[in-house]
Formats: sequence, structure tokens, C-alpha cells
Amino acid sequence: MSQLYELKVLIEEKIKANHLDAAEIKGQIGLKSGRLLAFINANTPDDPAVVAKLRQAIKDVLKVSA
Amino acid sequence: MNRSSIQFKVLAILVVCLALGVVCVIGLMHYFTVQNSQALAVDSIISSQKIFTILETREISKMTAVSDALIMNPEIRDALAAKDRTRLLSLTAPLFPQLKSEGITNWMFHTPEPDMAVFLRLHSPAKFGDHLNRSLDKEVAQTHAIVTGNELARAGFAERVLRPISDAQGKVIGYVEFGEELGQFIQTMKNQTGNDYELLLNKKFVDRQFWADSSTNLKRRDDWDDNSNFVVAARTTSNDKILRFTGDLAAVPEQGMVLEQFHDGDSIFVRGIFPIRDAAGNTAGAMFIVRNISDVYATMRRTQNILLVATVVSLSLGILFLLTLLNRIVFRRLQHIIKVATRVVGGDFESRIKASSDDEVGKLEELFEQFRQIFISILGQVTEMQGK
Repeated sequence: MSQLYELKVLIEEKIKANHLDAAEIKGQIGLKSGRLLAFINANTPDDPAVVAKLRQAIKDVLKVSA
Repeated sequence: MNRSSIQFKVLAILVVCLALGVVCVIGLMHYFTVQNSQALAVDSIISSQKIFTILETREISKMTAVSDALIMNPEIRDALAAKDRTRLLSLTAPLFPQLKSEGITNWMFHTPEPDMAVFLRLHSPAKFGDHLNRSLDKEVAQTHAIVTGNELARAGFAERVLRPISDAQGKVIGYVEFGEELGQFIQTMKNQTGNDYELLLNKKFVDRQFWADSSTNLKRRDDWDDNSNFVVAARTTSNDKILRFTGDLAAVPEQGMVLEQFHDGDSIFVRGIFPIRDAAGNTAGAMFIVRNISDVYATMRRTQNILLVATVVSLSLGILFLLTLLNRIVFRRLQHIIKVATRVVGGDFESRIKASSDDEVGKLEELFEQFRQIFISILGQVTEMQGK
């Protein structure tokens, strides 16, 4: 399982746990990281640059460290 | 509000505009206040000059009329022709108190030229035989007609009427002169204008010893050494703070000049001065004017404050209106586009944007909706390809 997918799972868990607007949060993270979360699946290969951007986006939007 | 947002920048610009507007209004009001003060000072000088001229004309008319009546009196003519000083004094002295009550302070008879000496001074009978050698004396001797004008004689600046008296054959047997001290005018001027006045005499035309003697006689402080080029003949107030001229009388232009605005306690004054020429055209004196503009100034201040508050309120309301308008027609719609774009990226493909107007933002909304549809279509195709 790729790091990108793990991060996507983390995002979905946080959304569910905090009853957040999924489309809004995913959209904000997608725009900040430059990657559509819909295209990330378990087989998506890791790109260190994209992983770093996604971590930063999660931190900015959800205020948590991933 | 986000500091990088257009909304914040527009608000900042409008607040700066408001501040600039207020500064401009304050500057303009200050300018107009100064201009109005200057206009009031100029008005004081002009009106005082006019009143002074009116008083001069009126008093000359009065003294001329008195002299007209006097020369018709054969007894007075005979006494002058006979050079009978005692008889002339006995005939004229009873009239002098009445003339003094009318403001005529000087009354003299002169012998004819070439001697042209003072034959009788009703205001100082013991003193006679002196030669005044003033320009009015020379003029009347040349023209043998009535002459009028201001003449500064040793210690006093007076408006004078000098006319010849002729015998039955038309030969000039002497002259009669009436005079009024100009210092008397200033109280009348004060009563009419409310301003304070000071009559200044050019020291060049005043005899030092006579000024000292007259100061003693009039129980007036001898101010000879107070100023380099003038002495004060009369004033309407003893307040030295407001009556204070330190310039040179010779430098005062014909039309007068505004000196300055100043404060004394809570009161605000403007000062001005205009010259007074003698019969020979010399600047023998000047009238120093002080006008209290506290009431006018207070009114201008009130107007200034009202205008300032009105400007701040109207500009603030204008800013509020503009921000509300911009929020409605631009910012709120842009925020909606951002929100929908974010949601579409987040997977909510049902969020749509409907062009709410035909303006620039409306065109952006329309364009974005087309992009959204293309984006969803491409996304669907990519997902389909990934599935295969």
C-alpha cells in the first residue's frame, strides 16, 4: 500500500470522525497539493514530491500532522 | 478578513481615501479660515478708511459752514482789520464753548501775508504772534480761497479749515482757521465699527519738547522713546497687548495693509493700518486698527467641525455602500465560484454554477461551468480508462 493511499485513508477517517464536508475538505486538500484524491488508490505509485505536498496540505486544512 | 484578499485591499484603499478626504477638508477649511480672517482684516481697513473719510468730510463741511457764518459778521471783520485782539477775543470767546461742544478744538485768526502770524488763538489766548509756516498757510496765501486738510502742528494732528477774511473792498485782512483733533474721530469710529483704534503720529513732524509738554498737560505718559518713528496721539483702549504696532509708518501703503492675526486669551484679533496724509501729502500719521474676530472665528470653527463630521459620515457611508455593492456584485459571486471549484475537485460533481448576470463575473461563472463540465467528462474518461 502506497504512502499516498495511506494519506488518503487518513483524510477520509478524519472527515468521518469530525463530521466534515467531504467534498469541501477533499477539494481544499486536492487544490493545495495539486493532486486529485479521486485518482489515488492502493496501487498508486509514490512520488516523494507529491507525498510531501499532500502532507503539507493535510496539515494546512485539517491542522494535523500526517 | 484575509489580508491578501481583494476585499481587504479595497477596504484599505477606501480607508486611505477617507483619511485623505478628511485631511483635504481640514486643509481646505484652514485655508478658508485664513482667507476669511484676511478678508475681515481687509474689510476692517476699508470700512475704517471710509468712515474716517466720511468723518473728515462731515467735519470739514461743519467747519466751513461755521466759517461762512463768521465772516459775515462785520464786527469781527472790523476788529480783525483794526488788529484789535482784545475786541476780537471778546466777540468770539463766547462762541467758542459752543463750537468746542461740536468738536471744534482749535480756532485761530492769522494776520495777512507777508507776516502771516497767529493773531489770536481762542483755544490758547495768551499765546500769539508765532509763525506756523504750514503748507495750508502757504496755500491759502497763494489762492486766497478756502483750503482744507490735515495738518500736524507740533504736538497735534488736526483737520483744519483755513479761509481768508476780506474787507468791503475785497482786500484780505486776515485769516480764520478752525481745527478738530483727529484723535476725536477714533471714538466715533469705534462706536460705529466696534474696532479699536490708535492714532499714530510720525515723529518726524512732531516737536519733541512740545510733545513732552503736551504729555504733561494732558497727563499722558510721554511715549516718545517707545518707538523709533511714531508716537501715539490717541487710542480707544489701554490694552497694550492688542494695540501694538512696531513697523515703519513710511512703509504703509496708500490702501493700508493687514498686519497679522493674533490671540489674546480666548479672543482672536486681526490688525491693520492705513496712512493719514497731511495737506502736503506726507504720511504724517496712521490709523492702527484692531478687530476682534472671535465670534466670526468661532462660527467658522463650528462650520468647520460640522463640515468635518459631515465629510467623515458621508465618506464612511459611501465606503459602506461601495463595499456592500462590491460584495454583492463581485466578491460573493467569486467566493461561490471558489467554493464550487473546491467541491468539484473534492468529488462533488453535482455542484453547479449558474451565470447570475451578463457582466464580467457572470461570464466567468459561465466559463467556469463549461470548464466544470469538461473536467467531469475528462475525469469520467480517465476513471473509465483506469478501470480497463
